Order: sequence, then C-alpha cells, then structure tokens
Amino acid sequence: MDKYRRIGISRVLGLLGISAKLDLVWLLRDTRYAIAGIIADVIANLSIVSSVFFIAVRFGGIGSMNSDEVLFMMAYSTMTTGIFMLFGAGNNIHISRIIGRGQLEHLFIQPLPLGTQLATSGFMPFTSGSNFVIGIALLVVAVARLGVEVSLPWILSLLLYQLVTMVTIVARAYLVSSMAFYSPVGAEEISHYAINGTWLLSTFPLSGMPAAIQYSLVTILPEGLMAWFPALCLLGRPPLGLGEYYPMLYAVILSIIAGIIFRKGMKHYVTKGSNRYVPYGFRR
Amino acid sequence: MYKYLKTADLAAREKTNGGILYMIPDVLIRVTTLVPLIFLWKVVMSSGVDVGMSIDQMLTYTFVHAILADMLVVKTAATGWLSDGILQKLFGRPMSVLGQLTAETVGRWIPMLLLFSLPTLILAPILGVSLIPRSVWFIPSLILCISLGFAIDCLFACLSIRLRSMNWLIDRIRAATVMLFSGTLIPIRLLPFGLAAAMRFQPFAALGGSPLQIFIGTADTAEILLLQVFWNAALWPLALLAFSKSRERMVSYGG
Repeated sequence: MDKYRRIGISRVLGLLGISAKLDLVWLLRDTRYAIAGIIADVIANLSIVSSVFFIAVRFGGIGSMNSDEVLFMMAYSTMTTGIFMLFGAGNNIHISRIIGRGQLEHLFIQPLPLGTQLATSGFMPFTSGSNFVIGIALLVVAVARLGVEVSLPWILSLLLYQLVTMVTIVARAYLVSSMAFYSPVGAEEISHYAINGTWLLSTFPLSGMPAAIQYSLVTILPEGLMAWFPALCLLGRPPLGLGEYYPMLYAVILSIIAGIIFRKGMKHYVTKGSNRYVPYGFRR
Repeated sequence: MYKYLKTADLAAREKTNGGILYMIPDVLIRVTTLVPLIFLWKVVMSSGVDVGMSIDQMLTYTFVHAILADMLVVKTAATGWLSDGILQKLFGRPMSVLGQLTAETVGRWIPMLLLFSLPTLILAPILGVSLIPRSVWFIPSLILCISLGFAIDCLFACLSIRLRSMNWLIDRIRAATVMLFSGTLIPIRLLPFGLAAAMRFQPFAALGGSPLQIFIGTADTAEILLLQVFWNAALWPLALLAFSKSRERMVSYGG
C-alpha cells in the first residue's frame, strides 16, 4: 500500500524536475529534432492567432473590441497554449490516447498515485515553453498599448484565470476521453478533437455576435471561456452579465462531472481490461 | 481505372469501419466552427470598411470553403503512412504508388461529403448564403487546385522522407503554413500590412483561395487560372522527380 501514501509538494516538485531533466537531455542529445519541434509549435500557434489578429487590424477591431484588445486576447490564448504544452507534452492531457492504447496499465505498475503521474509526466519546460514565452511577450505589448494598469492583484487575477482555463481544458478532455474506456479503438483520438479541433474556435472574439452564439459558447461548449471571456474580465469588462467569477464556477462544475464519469469509466476499465494488445504484444 | 475506383471505394468504407458514430466529433467541430465563423464575418464586414468584397460574397466564400475543405487543401495519407510503414506496402501492388495515394485520398473525402457537406447545404438559406457560382471557370479552377494540392502534398511527403521521423512536425508546419498562405480561412486580399500584394503570387495562393475567389467573382479569372496552370506546370515535375529520388530513402518503423 506504500504506493498510495500521501504525496507531498516536494515530491511533486521532484517529479517535475525529473521530467524537466529528461526534456533537457532530449534537447541536448537530439537538438535538431527538438528545435524543429519548437519551431513547429510556434508556427502552428502563431498562424491561428495571427489570422484573427489580421482580421482585427484590417477591420479596425471585431465587434466592440478594438485591435489592441484582440491582441490582448490572442496573447492570453497563446499563453494558454504555452501552459498546455509546458505541462501536457506527454499525452497526459490527451488522456484518451493513453486509455485507448491500453497504456494506463503502464502507469498502474509505477509506485506512485495515478493522478501524480499524470500531473507531472508531461512537463517539458525546455522544448515546449516557447509559446508561453511568446504569449508573455505579446501580453506585455498588448498591455502597454492598452495602458492597462498592472498591479499585483491584476497579475494574480491573470494567473487565476489561466489556471481556471487550464482546469476547463483538462476537465473537458478527461470527460470526453472517458469514452475510450468503453471503446478504446474508436475513441482513442477523441481528446484530439476536444482539444486541438476546437482551438481555432477558442480564438474567435465573440463580441458583437448574436447572444445565442455567445451563450452557447460559454455553456454547451466552453470555447468562449478559453480566451474571450477571461480576456474581457481582465480588461475590466466581464461580458454577458455573467460576472467575473463565472469561468471559475464553470470549471468547478465541469471538473466534478468529469471526475464522476472518468471514475466510472476507470471502474469499467479495471474490470474488463483493454483489448488493444494481442498476446505477442503488438497493438491492434 | 476500375482498380483505382475500387481503391477509392475501399478507402471510403474504411473511414466508416468503426461506425459512423465515430465521425460525429469531426462533423460537430466543422459545424460548430462554421456557424460562429459566419457570424464573425457578419460582425466585421458590417463595420463598413471597404475591402473589395461584399458581406454576401464573404459569407459564400466561408461557406463554400467549409463544405469543400478537404478538396481545397489536399492532404494525402503519405506522410503518416511513411512512419506507419504502409507507404512501402504500396510499392508491392501492381498499381502506380501516386495513383493509389490519389484514389485513397479521394475515397476518404466521400464520407465527410455525405455526412457534413451535403447536410450542411440546408444551412445555407438559413444563414443567408448564396451558393451560385459567379463563373463556370470555378470548376476548372477547382480541378487545378486539387491537382496542385496533390503536387504540394507529394513534396511535403518527400521532405518527410528526407528528414526522417519528423513527419508529425512537418505535418504541423505544413498545416499552419497552408492555413495562412492559401487564403482559405482569410481571403488573401484581406491581409493587412501589405501582405496581400506580397502573397498573391506564391504557390499556396493557387490552392483553395483561387477557386473560392472565382466562385464569388472577386478576382481576375484569367490571371488566377494562369497562375494555377503555372504552378501546376512548375511543381508537378519537381514533385515527380523528388518522389522518384526519395524512394530509396524511405525508413519506417511500422506498428
């Protein structure tokens, strides 16, 4: 039962350190591939955010947001992408891949709680931190152009909103990935649809759109909460009259639902097992 | 010809092997992106800025792009199949390798055309979008666009072979580059900072953005067709040569 012992913060930091060290070793030993990966990450994200920003510049803004406010929103989105890549580089957020490929067992045999392994295994600060750095740079430019008064409470708000955005992304990914417990082959890539497939949509400034679209994208789908809603909250204009705490409420409710459904799926998985491997170890 | 049609048929069936249910996430994402995108354009176009396009033309552009997305920017399975080891298997069949890739790709378009594009046509009148092309030259332009798409895809596949095991990274760079430079998401003429003029003549502009511009009637048809013919003539020999030289370099792990 030793593996279920309480894991302290120092142990978590130690595990993050191990992941970081492995990342550094990869960068040093396979520099060409690692740099190509960094460039690919940057280009992929910048092409999405620059598309929306170009529209804003060409039309002098989008809805009630001017082009600098759109830049601020894109900076927030880039930071979110950066944090996602910093902590989610090991399929630990694309969890349906781990479940669908029958790799959850690999984690069961480790002397660590599953949650701790998933929280720490995807940390890659050296090769996946580029978007986070670019996001901060864009944020500095946007804040300077907008004349936002940056105080300690504002920075704490920014950190809190980023945390809430990440919780929403992870909760939604784990919620839909629960399907992979029941259908490993069919749902192996479902987290990709939930995360990457909706990334473009999450960069749309919803200001000026019909209320039905705006409300749908902050309730049925959380795409409006990925950048648009928190960016406006940080600019002191929470939209839709829902209040600045709405993203937190949404993240908590979604996490509770995801937790219940994921545990139910896990119970099914540990009872039935995975059908992805043939007896000689090859993946179906 | 029959064997290629049969290959396309098998590819279409393979896409739905796991059941149509598993294609629903992809369909939902396309719909949930299209509808807000239509309204995003309505919002920005109603700002009154003159961009040489009317709001109706912009909506048609976006809508046609959504329903023909797979054809406007062709992506074969070649890059992914390289790492899977499937690409090598194609050499063992009594058919042209590029012919098989083409048939497979066309076959894979069919389920999404049936499950997304056709049903989405119903949305057009509801969203106030006209789907009547301004010029019949849209069809030749689309064919040239598809042809060029295969040539560019072939070149990217050769790059993957050359750089070994970088398939996934090349795929990401390619998707990002094509999205911005092809003018499918944002028409090239709308790009700010003088980018519109600079990007008009590069090869990616002869992909999806070209037939879409002809469809809505905002471009010089002759100039666009000439550019498409030029890039096809320039890139196909290059693609064939590169593919021929890459054969001996293929390395796969399989599994």
